[in-house]
Amino acid sequence: MAGDVYRDRIIISNDTRFLSLAREFTQRMIRASTLSRTEESKIILAVDEAVTNIIEHGYENQKDGTIEMEIEAGQDQFRVIIRDSGKEFDPSSIKDPDMDDHVKKGKKKGLGIFLMRQIMDEVKYVFKEGVQNELILVKNLKKKPEEKAPSA
Amino acid sequence: MPEFQINTQKLQNGVMFITVSGFLDAHTFEEMERTINDLFERNSYRLVVDLSRLDYISSAGAGVFIGAIGTAQENDGNIILMRPSPNVKEVFDLLGLSQIFTFADDIDNAVRAFG
Repeated sequence: MAGDVYRDRIIISNDTRFLSLAREFTQRMIRASTLSRTEESKIILAVDEAVTNIIEHGYENQKDGTIEMEIEAGQDQFRVIIRDSGKEFDPSSIKDPDMDDHVKKGKKKGLGIFLMRQIMDEVKYVFKEGVQNELILVKNLKKKPEEKAPSA
Repeated sequence: MPEFQINTQKLQNGVMFITVSGFLDAHTFEEMERTINDLFERNSYRLVVDLSRLDYISSAGAGVFIGAIGTAQENDGNIILMRPSPNVKEVFDLLGLSQIFTFADDIDNAVRAFG
């Protein structure tokens, strides 16, 4: 990433009660970036969905284990890297939901990955066997139009 | 963080008015689900959910309503969502749920939506 990058990291316990910490950390980093307030709530939601998936599927709701969140707020990109040591879980293997089918069958789950894809420009997953899973969420930042040089 | 709270109140024609406040996420959705299931068990299928004091909803929260609306409609009822904040409404829009749920601006319109 070009230019200055503001980077910070937190580690949270694998428990839904700490989702609020994940959201607050994301909000703090967004406010240190050039992202607009209209993007803020959506990106917080995408991160919440990612962390929730790790807690519910990666760690299968076991209370031990930790989740590391690292956020890089750069001039070109806002990158969220989420690491865990739970079960391998590749979001790209999940198809987008058919909402009518969800309603018809009373299905409540399986919407988080769809939201992550809707909101972020990139959702990448890296599985490092015996080490950790890494989920990378990227939002590209819109460049401000360059000022035109005054005409001679 | 505001505490998550649910209150229910009976209106006319057997309509139940549910007020939700705080954050409806993967940590709190089970309480919302229990409330709706308890009402279904008491044969209350006409539900108005006031979302005006809900600060935040994730897919776990929206999933409660998605999972319940079919049961409500099969039993001559519905789930009418009232006054969501722009942030909360946006989540329903992103999920493509705005065509599935009826949204109302006030109690009168919400009750009228049951027909």
